[in-house]
Amino acid sequence: MAFTLHGSSEFTCTRRVALIAKERNVPYRLITVDVKGGEHKQPAHLKHQPFGQVPYIIQEDGFELFESRAIGRYIATLGSGPELIPTEPKAHAKFEQAAGIEYAQFDPVANGIVKEKIYKPFFEVATDETKVQELTAQLESKLDGYETLLSKQKYLAGNEVTLADLFHLPYGSIVFEELGYGSLDKRLNVKRWWKDISSRPAWQAVKEGA
Amino acid sequence: MAFKLHGAKMSTYTRIVAVIAKERNVPYEFIAVDFKAAEHKQPPHLQHHPYGQVPYISQDDGFELYESRAIARYLATIGSGTQLIPTEPKAYAKFEQAASVEYAQFDPIASGIAWEKIIKPHFGKVTDEKRVEELVALLEIKLDGHEAILGKQKYLAGDEITLADLFHLPNGNIVFERLEYGFLDKRPNLQRWWKDISSRPSWQAVKDGA
Repeated sequence: MAFTLHGSSEFTCTRRVALIAKERNVPYRLITVDVKGGEHKQPAHLKHQPFGQVPYIIQEDGFELFESRAIGRYIATLGSGPELIPTEPKAHAKFEQAAGIEYAQFDPVANGIVKEKIYKPFFEVATDETKVQELTAQLESKLDGYETLLSKQKYLAGNEVTLADLFHLPYGSIVFEELGYGSLDKRLNVKRWWKDISSRPAWQAVKEGA
Repeated sequence: MAFKLHGAKMSTYTRIVAVIAKERNVPYEFIAVDFKAAEHKQPPHLQHHPYGQVPYISQDDGFELYESRAIARYLATIGSGTQLIPTEPKAYAKFEQAASVEYAQFDPIASGIAWEKIIKPHFGKVTDEKRVEELVALLEIKLDGHEAILGKQKYLAGDEITLADLFHLPNGNIVFERLEYGFLDKRPNLQRWWKDISSRPSWQAVKDGA
């Protein structure tokens, strides 16, 4: 079932949803929320997303959802295409472990870096370079964990790609590619994994805009 | 199936696993990891948890898992007791939305406050009060989101309790009860919800130690 994606074409979390929609061949229409104009903080928007953020979706039947990873998980059960969430109980548990790695280990650090280097300038606020230094040091430490994990298996949950890998793409592409952090040349397993997931057609399709 | 819980008695994330084990009547043996000796950063520990943290669990059949919420989600499918993850597809999607509210909206900020005000002093480090002020201001905004959601329904995913509510318990206990910021005073829905979830016997059983 098709849906409207309310967000901003180039924003990370909007593209996270678009990516999974492409993977699962679920059609959507992007409706731009005027973030620079503060639309996302207005009552009309808050009715759909009470934290004043993007994205949120509305399905043809009126069903609404916010939180990009929750939307991604829902879309993964619709449409057709690669199985992105394992169903066998222990494989599913390892998927949830990998999903946890993304939102609890990677995201706080990557999100922080992108906020300082990309979003603050977008909203004309000064970057805190001391904070960036702290965060890039933390990133190095986290990536040691990734390097170990990815030396034993192809993807974060095992030998099949899952949402846990794909959810890294929007922030990872800014942190690793645009900003050049993460020392991937010294971390060959992370580099291999990153090259693999970032070359997927679904990501190429939305990388520059949802 | 019983498991060994490797962690620290008062650690936030160790107690998340403990509270869900209690909810689901899954027995566990607690094994203390020696933080003061930095056991969690040594190679034997890193074999089980490549990010050098706690908790992780191990079962008799050799199955291991880390990331507290992944462990909790796994425990929610074994044992017996309250259904903590809905199965109907749209109710499940709303659960994932609520789960994301906890890990993406609440936890990064609440755990930051807990780190500065409780954990750093415990290890003889100095609290960064300016950082605490920033975090408290951010949490006020987030909790307005919770207040709006809980004005329409009993719990974060709907009218039934889920893991998403319970995952707030350890850091919620710190920011709502142990520290006096008055977050609940102006938010009657949040207060009602907090009283409900924090009075559950499973939480009372592990509140002061896993």
